[in-house]
This record gives sequence, structure tokens and C-alpha cells, in this order.
Amino acid sequence: MKEKSPSILILGGGVAGMAAARSLKNQDLSVHLVEKDDHLGGKAALWACMATDTCKNCGACLSQEMARQMIDQNNLTTHLKTKIDTLKKTSKGIEALLTSGTTITADKVIMATGFDAFNPAQLTSLHWKDHKNIITTAQLNTLIREEGLNNLLENAQSPKIAFIQCVGSRNKKLKKDYCSQVCCKISMRQAQKLVHNIPDAQITLFYMDLQIIGKEIRQTLNLLSKQINLVQGIPAEILEDPDTHTLTLVTEDITTQSRSAGQFDLVVLSVGMESARDMNETTTLLEAVPNDWGFFNTKDAIVSKDLYIAGCAAGPKDILTSNQEGKIAGAKILEDLDLAEKPDINVAILGDGPQADIVTQAVAAKGYPVYIFSTTPAAKAFDMKPAQDNPPLSNIKLTRSKLTGSKLNRSKLPRSTLTGAKILAVDGTAGNFSIHYESRGKKENLTCGAVIAALEPCSTPNTGKGEFQTAMDLNTFSQISPGDLPEKSLILLDYFGPEFKSSARQALTVALAARKAKKEITILMNKMLVHGALGQRHYDQARTADILFLRFNTPEDIKIQPQARGFHITLKEATLPNFELALECDCLVLPQSINARGKFETIAKILRLPLDQEGFLQSANVRHRLIQSHRKGIFFTGTCHDEIDNHDLKTEIQEILSALATLDSPHQETKVTIDEKKCAKCLTCYRICPHSAIILNEKMRPQIMANACFSCQLCLSNCPAYAIESQGFTNDQIADQVTDQVVIFACERSCALAAENIVLPEKTQLITLPCACRISCDMILKSLINGASKIIISGCHEGNCRSMEGSTTARSTINAIAKMPGIKADIIRWEPVAANETHKFWRIISKA
Amino acid sequence: MDNAKIDTKSNLSRLLNQLSLGDNISECLTCGACNSRCTWFDGEGGPIPRQMVRMAALGLDDKLVESGMLWDCLICNRCTQGCPMGITMDIIVRRGRSLGIAAGQIPTDIEKGIKSRLETGDVNGLTKEEFVETVEWVSEEFVDEVNDPKAAIPHDKKGSKFLYLPNPRELGINLLHLTAMGKLFYAMEETWTMSSFHTDVTNWGYFVGRDEIARKIASMVVEPAENLGIQTLVLSECGHGYHVLKFLLPELIGRKPKFDVKSIPELTLEYAKKGVLKFDPSIHPYKIAYHDPCNIARKSGCYDAPRQLLDLCCQETVELNPNREDGICCGGGGGILQDSTSTKKRKITGKPKADQMKACGLKHLATACLSCHRQLGELSNHFKLGMKVDTVASLASESLIL
Ligand code: SF4
Ligand code: SF4
Ligand code: SF4
Ligand code: SF4
Ligand code: SF4
Repeated sequence: MKEKSPSILILGGGVAGMAAARSLKNQDLSVHLVEKDDHLGGKAALWACMATDTCKNCGACLSQEMARQMIDQNNLTTHLKTKIDTLKKTSKGIEALLTSGTTITADKVIMATGFDAFNPAQLTSLHWKDHKNIITTAQLNTLIREEGLNNLLENAQSPKIAFIQCVGSRNKKLKKDYCSQVCCKISMRQAQKLVHNIPDAQITLFYMDLQIIGKEIRQTLNLLSKQINLVQGIPAEILEDPDTHTLTLVTEDITTQSRSAGQFDLVVLSVGMESARDMNETTTLLEAVPNDWGFFNTKDAIVSKDLYIAGCAAGPKDILTSNQEGKIAGAKILEDLDLAEKPDINVAILGDGPQADIVTQAVAAKGYPVYIFSTTPAAKAFDMKPAQDNPPLSNIKLTRSKLTGSKLNRSKLPRSTLTGAKILAVDGTAGNFSIHYESRGKKENLTCGAVIAALEPCSTPNTGKGEFQTAMDLNTFSQISPGDLPEKSLILLDYFGPEFKSSARQALTVALAARKAKKEITILMNKMLVHGALGQRHYDQARTADILFLRFNTPEDIKIQPQARGFHITLKEATLPNFELALECDCLVLPQSINARGKFETIAKILRLPLDQEGFLQSANVRHRLIQSHRKGIFFTGTCHDEIDNHDLKTEIQEILSALATLDSPHQETKVTIDEKKCAKCLTCYRICPHSAIILNEKMRPQIMANACFSCQLCLSNCPAYAIESQGFTNDQIADQVTDQVVIFACERSCALAAENIVLPEKTQLITLPCACRISCDMILKSLINGASKIIISGCHEGNCRSMEGSTTARSTINAIAKMPGIKADIIRWEPVAANETHKFWRIISKA
Repeated sequence: MDNAKIDTKSNLSRLLNQLSLGDNISECLTCGACNSRCTWFDGEGGPIPRQMVRMAALGLDDKLVESGMLWDCLICNRCTQGCPMGITMDIIVRRGRSLGIAAGQIPTDIEKGIKSRLETGDVNGLTKEEFVETVEWVSEEFVDEVNDPKAAIPHDKKGSKFLYLPNPRELGINLLHLTAMGKLFYAMEETWTMSSFHTDVTNWGYFVGRDEIARKIASMVVEPAENLGIQTLVLSECGHGYHVLKFLLPELIGRKPKFDVKSIPELTLEYAKKGVLKFDPSIHPYKIAYHDPCNIARKSGCYDAPRQLLDLCCQETVELNPNREDGICCGGGGGILQDSTSTKKRKITGKPKADQMKACGLKHLATACLSCHRQLGELSNHFKLGMKVDTVASLASESLIL
């Protein structure tokens, strides 16, 4: 008799819960997703789209798409508006009685119960409850989503708006001595959205330490610092004029040496995250013990057997990281149930720095044969010395070493270096890549199932020049045993631009060790990055250990004079504007600057994947982050693609490993095919396929690789010979669906989802397309002939398209049509609508 | 521009970093929350709390003293209330004031007051004989007033249940207040006394941050009280006196005293709850606002007793906004009221309070501290608010049903 398939209970239908459920699809399991609300998607589903002219990479709209996918998952039962009544451990498993009366006996439980927003009523002096123009970031979200902001501001002329950061976080008195990780990002995005929606708004953002972490946030900061006031120091009290409802915030006025009052029309409290209130019961029932904060992100939290924790239940984090944790939890369960697969593939790793070494070891430990493409000629395994300015990547050298077996000893990692090898091209897709390279003048070929880019970015030392001639590199400083360090050292952060998280972390760690050895340490910074579960605690520890922290506003506030021995520094300290401080130190320590500086251009070209705005690998598009790309089977990890510390690196590796396990199962089918008879071999499709899913076969004809195709249909709408087909999706077939006057062609991942629960007005019709890029002149003209008098094409915001350029392509098609003779100006237009922009969609169609 | 050197081994740093319990100033996050909460609000000059904390944390003693902020600060701890690290301003400022280099800044009146307090037992220099004479005279008046020969304002009576510790003003310009308090004790039908050994609830050692002086003054209260064998020390309405004697006393003298400490409003409320005291609220047929003295409310945690007592003896108690933990200092805290040269300054420090008083739109205001009482009264005059200011206990006494 076949044993009953194992049962998995997932508590919480937010992003983490859904991601976990999805990672269990196609398995012989019965998965139960229990959600207390009447919708899936959790808090993210209520979040507004932060796009301005382009997507701001918040990830909120993904929750809508994920929720949609849950419906089609065969092994999944979703229990909405349901809570856990009782939970008990029995010999058969964990028996859960749901409030609906159903009993589930689960083999494994995933707790993905999310978080609650901090209730600012606890901080009485903020008067959140009393004054109508004080709202939280969550409320602002609702206002943006429902397009109600102007009502609140009563259409005030150049409204003055303030954001106050760290409300309910980083607060020892409230026993919340942690950074909530996301609120800086949220406020920065919201501020940007407000600037976009209300161009004459005057916005001030008061912060404690802006957490500028991650590719999109560094970009946001660059723009934002020109658009709004960023002020260090957070007001803890809001005063209201009872008649005008104008709000007053008092801050230090460094110019007049007193306090000054700023008037605002709206104050937004950037509230932190706390553990979900109704999680507590569940943890008790499952014999799990969270830490003092109510989370599971420190070592003292106890997670019981058969329980897995993902998302914000584990600790504060953003949407993309919750998604990642959900996937990892699912993968762990498969592994623990012995259901995980290990496909028979080779894995190629690009890079040979310390991060690549860690990746190599982890992948090899899983039993995959690993091939390392190194960037330095004679890479010594796990040599932690600072990476040198590496030679350009066109000279990628190949280190071929086949690693099998699971017991790996770091020092024994076998490696041999082939000199003169150079990658020429990476063809193919997940499960079946072929890496063409040249070695010793010979062209060679490596077949592998996945490619992991784990290159080191450029780390440029800041020491050794100008006034820093005799300064010491932070890496060098870290290697000296604390006892041998100079008596008085000063670590200077943020001097050459916002420090990367890893450098800030390193500085704190070293400083603490030096302090233990009774050395005097000063850290001079613009801001402290307290990101990560224990970030704030480390910072607190450092201050109580008498590490001196000084703050500067701009580098001009610091004057550095090297002395015969050590340094003399004059500083205009940010909190003490009345006088200058004179500092002496034996040793001035500087972290290296991390940047991409043209380093990844070649490899990006070879991988046929775009770089982000700063030149790091991987575009900021959330459809494929955190670790994937729009070429299936190509992964990124480490600082070559984002700001990553050691903890993040570990998590990324876990996600990659879980993705490897499901790489080729099951085989995906595409509905798109090329009709050889019609194909003119112009190779347009081969050139334009955003996912590199079209290869040239032996007959030098274009051929679609089913597994790599995302069915965006860009090739279809662009094939001049109409040789590419998709069942039921010819231009005629689409145009024939037109029956009404107003026609919306909607991308199935954005606009169509936003429109899902809307009853369309009369004479309005919505036709779903796989991607906005599916439209073509032919199709639009035919639709007009078929009776449409107004056509709206709606897809993702730019930068959010899964096929990268779909929205841009659609727009240029529209522009081309609009220029055609006989086409009236307002007959056809483009409207980006994200999946969570239902209100916006409604506004668009009701005005159409 | 001036130049300053960090010195984490400065006198002030040493004094402050000895402290436990989150008062370690080096823990400051430089978050700036305190700056937004200073009672001076957007008034000119005055203390900038984060600068004070930072100067203290970095051992910039000279700069801190030079800044003049130490004696501008009202020690109201309004800033502290908003501090995520619980860094306590009153400790920082008082330690700063205690520094040798800050000695020249101590207001003459306070210096004199401390001297006569240590010498005669009274800040105004009232001698023991003068005390006895005054109290006996008030006692006679009191007998006439309640029309009961058994009534008295006793002094130095051993074995009494209560010992009343008056405010110096009750023995000088506000004798009526003492009579009013006598009436409350009389109605409680308990034994009580005053003491000619220590005529004063104040402790100006607290203002100058000199623990040794504060301790000496406190012992001048504790020893005679214990000699009299009383059960409860009853404090006249005095903010800093309450904070020192009820809140800081054990730490200051290094042990628990052999008596309870209560303020007169607290004791009165207790006897009202027992049903011993009865009040006629129609004597005060109006709504009355209540001002939280910083030292009693925010700094010592007593919010409700005065309000409850007011409720019994007036038509209705109304809140000023903001109140309780967030209450605004009257502008006379930190020793500034005790400094006769500060009259002008107190109009600046009191402006936020005056605005708040005006905003409540009432004609009556009560408080539980005689210092606040004086400052509030002056504010009402100066800003033409037309508000009558009373103390809670005197209102209680007025509406007492004998
Ligand atoms: S399109 Fe999606 S990811 Fe981009 S800003 Fe909008 S909600 Fe966020
Ligand atoms: S510093 Fe941390 S807690 Fe404060 S607002 Fe930024 S992310 Fe949130
Ligand atoms: S449908 Fe899109 S992904 Fe598929 S082959 Fe055509 S262009 Fe490429
Ligand atoms: S104690 Fe009061 S007066 Fe002094 S700095 Fe703080 S808020 Fe201002
Ligand atoms: S509120 Fe506290 S932690 Fe923040 S700056 Fe002031 S003293 Fe420092």
C-alpha cells in the first residue's frame, strides 16, 4: 500500500508563506496554507506601488502574482479566513485544528506569520492618535494606493511633509534595540513617490542613521538628496496648532545655536516591525521560544523539531528577502523528507575570490562537479588577502578542477590553473549551458547545468596616497592581532562615499576586538549601518565598551594632517557645531572602496545580461532578484551583484542550492514555436529574445529552447515573416476578440492582475497578453478595424518587466503607430499599471 | 574657531560613566530625539540637550561649562522622556554643575540658601527660636479659626504619627498655607507634629549636584524624624523636595529610612478614600486644570493622586495638553526660580507653559508644588492670562467639611 503523502502546514499566506508553498509544488505532498485574512499576499498585498517614471524595485506587486499562482498549484489547499485553534504534537505528527473545523496532521510546519507594524500610540508625544495630519508609513501607503493623498493635503500649495525614521525601532527603552531593516527604504521610496506625484512638495526626512544598503537604494539616495532635505536627528515630539492643524517639529538649529521650529502639513512616522501579536500562542503550542524581541533571528531563540520559520516571523526583512526565506524553508523540508533531488549537472563558478571559494565549497559539498573560472592566474584557495585590482574579464582564466565527494577540507580543495584561458560565450539555458572558452590557443567547450557568478568587485585601497600616505587599510588592520595594534586608532568611514555594509560590519568587529585588548578606538562616520539582526546590538555594545563614535556631515568637516608619528585631525563634529574637535591618533584606518568600475562589462556581455546602474552584475529588476537572472540557470551571489555580508552570502548560497535542485524538473513547455517553412532566417528573433531562449541549431536555423522561453512573445510580434506562432495567439485571433469601443491590452502579470476583481464599465473590454511587448502594429490596426475606438496598452512599469524591455518595446510600438497617417493622437496610449494598482487602473478606465 | 580636545578621562566623564542602568552617557545614539523635546522648544538660547550629552560624553568639561547651558537647563527631564537609551539629563546637568570649574556659575541666592540651610536648618536663615515663635503664633490663629481648643499646630512632639515638613514659604510669606495644612491634619484625627530641627522640605544640594551637600541636608531631615519616632514623613507640596526625599533618599543616605514618605496631597487622598476626610466640591464650582510638576510627575512617577484629590474638591479636573510624562515645565525648574536674578529669564522659559495655559481656556489652575505655584502665578500675570493658581492641598483644605 502506498503511504500517505507527507503533509506540510504553512502558517501565514504572506510572501514567505506563498514562496514556501511554491517551492513545494510538483511534489507528492499535501500542502496546507492557512491565512487569517480573506486574501493571500499578507501585508505586501496591501502595499502601494512605489514606481515613479520607473519601477522602484520594492517587490510589492510580486505578491499579487504569487497569490495568483497559488490557485494553480495542484498539491496546495488554501484556507483563507482561518486561524489555528489548537496545535498538538502526536505520534503521527503535529495535529492542527483549524478554526474552520478541519484537522490537519502535518509532518512539518512552516511558520510564516509575518509581523505587525509598531503602534505609535505608545509614544504619546508623537500624538499619532490625536492629530489628523500625522500618519504612519503604512497609512501613507494606503493613501497612495487608493490615490487619496490629495484629499488629505486638501490640495495644499507646496505642502510641507516630514518623515520621521526609527519610530518604535532602535529603542532600548521599548525593549526594541533592533533596526527594523526596511523602514529607511520604505520612507525613501515613499518620499520619491511624493516628489513625483506632488512636484512642489517640500519634503524633509529626519533620520538617525540612513540605512543606505543595496543597489537600488544607493541609486535612490543619489536622486533623493537633490530633491528633499535629509536631516540627521529625529524629532520625538509633534506639536499641533489646534486651529490650522499645522504641525510643528522642533530641531536643533546649528546656525543660531538654539532650537528652531519647522512647520509641516503632514508628518509621516516610519514605524518599525514587531513580532506578530498572534504568533505568540502558536510558538508556545509548538514549543518554540523566540528571543526577547519575539523573533527567531538570534541564536538564543529555540526552534523546535519539524518547525521551520520564514519571513518576518524570523525577524524584520524586506519583501524580496522574505521570498528568499520562504523558498529556502521549502527546500529544507524537501531535504529533510528526503525528497530533494540532485540533478546530474555540472556547475560553473565564475570567480575565485574568498566569496567564490565559499560558494564552491558549498556547491561541491552537495555533490555537484564544480568548474571554477578564475580571474587571477594563480589563485590560492581561500587566501583572504585583499583582492587586487583584477585584470579585465576578457582575460578570464580557467581553473579546471573537478570536485566531487562531500567531505571537503578547505585546504585540500584541489585546483589547477590553466593559463591563457578566456571565456568566449555562454550559450544555452538551465540544465544545458555550453561555455565556449579558449585555452592555450585551443577552443574548448564545457557543458554545465548552471552558472554562478561570484566574482569579486573592485576593492580600491584608499591608503597610500596624499594625506593618507601612511594610513592603514582596514583589511590589514583586521589581520593584526588586537594586542599588537597601536594604542590609539581612528577608523574613518563614509569619507569616500557611503560605506558598504560589509566594511561597516568589519569596522565594528575589529573595533570591538581592539577594545578588548584595551586599545583606544574612535570611529569617525557619517552614519552607522546597523542592518542585520544584531547590527544595533553590536553598535550598542561598542558604545558601552567605550569605543568613541564621532559623526561628520560632509568630508569637508574633516581636516587630516599626517604627523611624524600618527595623525592630527580637526573635525567639525555633526552634533557639536560650536567648535572644532582636535583629535590625535597613532593610526588612521580606512576601508577600501568597493565599486564595479567597468569590471563586469565583459562578463555581462558574455552572459548577455545587463549590469545595474553602477556597473555591478544583475539589473535591479525584482522579477529575478535576489539571485536569479532572466536567463534561467544563471545565478549571482556575493558583492559582484549586491551589498552582501557574510550572513547574506550564506543565505544566497542556500537559495542557489535549492534552485539547483529543481533546475530541470519539470520540463517547461512553451507554446511558442517557429514554423520552419515560413522562417526567412533573418534571425530577428535570435537577436531580440530577451531571455536568450533562441539558439541556432545545426542547420543554422533559429530554434526555441522550451526550457528557457518565458513565452513573452516578443519574437512573435517582431518576426517579419510571421513565422512564429503561439496557439490561439495570432494577431488576427487577438484582434478578433475586439468587440467593444474601449480596449485594454493588459500584461498578464501586471495590469490584468490589477483588473482582476473589477467590473469593467460598459463598452470596455480587457484582453490579456503574456507581455505588453506582444502588441504589434498589425494587431492594433486590425483591432481598430474591428471597431475599437480607443486602445490602452498597459503593462509593467519600466524596469519591472519580467522580459526586461517589454514595456519599453510596447511604448515604441505605440509611438510608431501614433505617427501613422490617419491615427488620431489620443486613440492609443500607454499606461503602466502594476499588479497592485487597482485604484489607478480604475481611474484610467473610468476616464477612458 | 575654537578647538577642543576629547578627554574621556575628564572629571565629568568619570563621574558619569560610573553610573549604571543605561545612564552611561557614552550610549547616546546621537539620535537627536532630546533636542525636539526641550522645554525651551524654539525659544532663543537655552540648553541644547544633545550638545550637553555629547560634550559630557566626550569629556569636554570646559566647553560644557562655558556654554552656559548647565544653568539654563531646568532639569525637567522632558528630553530624557524621549530618549531611546534612557539617558537621564538631570544627572548629567547636576554632575556638570558640581564640577569645580562650574563653581563660579552657581547663583548667589542658591549658594547663600545652602549656607544658611546647613548652618541654621532653613534656607531663609530662620533660627530655631524664630521657628518656634512662628509656629506657635500660627497655632493660636489656627485654634481660633477651627474654633476648637484642642486643635493645634504642634512641634517637636515625640511619638506622633506624622511629621510635617513645610516649605520655607509656609514659614515666611505664606503662613496661611500652613494653617490650611493644619486643618487637613486636624480633620484626619491623627497625631502630628512639626520639628524645630529641620524646618524645610527643600534640598538645594540637589540643584548644585553636590551629593555630599544633598546628603547632609537629607540627614538633617532623617535623623530628627527618626528621633521623633514618627511613622510617616509628610512633605509639603514641593517638587524637588518630593523627588529627593521620596525618590532619591535611600540612594542618597545609603539605606532605607525608618519611616514612610508621602506628600500632603497623597496623604489627604488616602484619608479621603478611607472616608475620614470629606469634601464639598461646590466650594470650587469651576473646571480646573492641573499642572504636573516635573519633579513629582515625570521624574518620580506620581501622576494620579493630585488629580484624584482635585476631582474631590473641585467641579472637574481638566488636562493641559500635553500632560503627564510629556508635561511642560513651568519654566522655574532646576533652581532657576530660587535665583532672584532670573525673573526675566523665567518669562522665556515659561512661555511654552503660558501658551499651554492660555490654550486650555480656563480661569483656574492647580499644581502640587509651591515653586511651580509661584512661577505659574507670575506667568498668569505677565502674559495676562487671568488665571488663578492654587495648590492642590490648599484647595482640598478649603473644601474640607469639618
Ligand atoms: S512595479 Fe512592483 S516592484 Fe516596481 S515599484 Fe511598483 S510595486 Fe514595486
Ligand atoms: S535605521 Fe533601521 S529602524 Fe531606523 S528607520 Fe532605518 S531601517 Fe528603520
Ligand atoms: S516568446 Fe519570448 S522568451 Fe520565448 S523565444 Fe520568443 S522572445 Fe524568447
Ligand atoms: S532637562 Fe528640560 S530644560 Fe534641560 S535640556 Fe532637558 S528638556 Fe531642556
Ligand atoms: S535622545 Fe538620548 S540617545 Fe538620543 S541624542 Fe538625546 S541623549 Fe542621545
